[in-house]
Amino acid sequence: MKSIKKSKLFIAAGLLSVGITLVAADHLDAPAVAGTTADITDFYAFEGANVDNTVFVANVQSSLAPAGDAATFDENVLIEVNIDNDGDLVEDLVIQAIPRNGKMYFFGPFAPSMTGLNSSINTEATYTGNVDISMGANAMTATEGGISYFAGLREDPFFFDFTQYNAVIGGMAPNGFNVPGNDDFDGTNVLSIVIEVPNSLLGGTFAHPAGTGTQVFNTWVEAKRKQ
Amino acid sequence: MKNILYIALAVLTITGVTSCSNDDDAAPMNETVDFSGTFVQEDQMGRAGINTVLSGSASIKNDFNTTIPSEMTETFQPLFLDQAVALHAAFGAEYETNILGLDATTLTTILATDVLQVAPDAPTTYFDGTNILTGRNLTDDVIDVSLILLFGGQNGDRFNGQDTNGDGEPDLPVLVTDGVSNAGETPMAIFPYLEVPHN
Repeated sequence: MKSIKKSKLFIAAGLLSVGITLVAADHLDAPAVAGTTADITDFYAFEGANVDNTVFVANVQSSLAPAGDAATFDENVLIEVNIDNDGDLVEDLVIQAIPRNGKMYFFGPFAPSMTGLNSSINTEATYTGNVDISMGANAMTATEGGISYFAGLREDPFFFDFTQYNAVIGGMAPNGFNVPGNDDFDGTNVLSIVIEVPNSLLGGTFAHPAGTGTQVFNTWVEAKRKQ
Repeated sequence: MKNILYIALAVLTITGVTSCSNDDDAAPMNETVDFSGTFVQEDQMGRAGINTVLSGSASIKNDFNTTIPSEMTETFQPLFLDQAVALHAAFGAEYETNILGLDATTLTTILATDVLQVAPDAPTTYFDGTNILTGRNLTDDVIDVSLILLFGGQNGDRFNGQDTNGDGEPDLPVLVTDGVSNAGETPMAIFPYLEVPHN
């Protein structure tokens, strides 16, 4: 609440100084990771075409970033989907994905031996698979043990007028957003990892923290670089 | 021949390879795939736009990405609250309890823990007016939902370009939608769901 009494102009100027570098949803979200091969752009989790499955989508490296459509998955970057089955915000299960020589390799879901900021790859995981990385229109997929895998270049499904957002947050748009706005992600691509997993492999659930009564698990995605 | 088989089996065992894409072009089996090492976190994401919108500085954004979820709210809720206040102040306004009945402290407490709730046995929606946060579909308008929760006040349309003095001109800014819908997104109904890339 420190800034509540400060003048509108001062706050607007302060917002402006950081506003011009902002992109969303998680695209280029922070200077340390923006434009790198570890930049997560989006994360989705939804009911599969088979309603007994859940689909996880982790997107990295927007084509709006410097590497553009020439971006490739980095063999030093591990993408890890985390699942918390009891609501304590600590991962109980992880699914790991990392590329090697044109293929994306997958491990899990499995219960990791260590949680938190550091990970090692569990090549002994019960569930493993791999798929050729698709760089063209044809989506090469693989299914192993009931789990389906995809990795490759896809259209970026995110839609957002981020130019106007930057103007709004930068204090340069007193009227706010435009209606209609402009989708700055129209015509852009992203590197996608898609994993469809039977719910029976995803562990337990707990009552939604928002109090809706719905049974849920927590999930999030991390990008981790080899040291 | 037996040696080749043995090597292939050894590689399978070491790497955990069990398959087999539908475009299998016989990956070289004479090399061991190395998955060793320690991997250290550089980026993290649960919900869309949280770090982008609610972290008020470059250093906060960087720190957020390397904080584990169980420690996020303690560290970042006060900072996110400051940012929510500042974003309103820039338009000469103060936060109003939102459509879900959440005051600014409660909203920023929820959002500061950047994880996505997923209901495996219920339909997926980020927010459809009734159901809240059972996952995120490719076509969910997460930006509008976020804007409504942050700026929409108790009715969800608090700042929507209203003409308050009847002169035919908008007097309030548009802050509850970015004016971009999912109309341009047409994901497939089958795996891998995402659309083919643009040329």
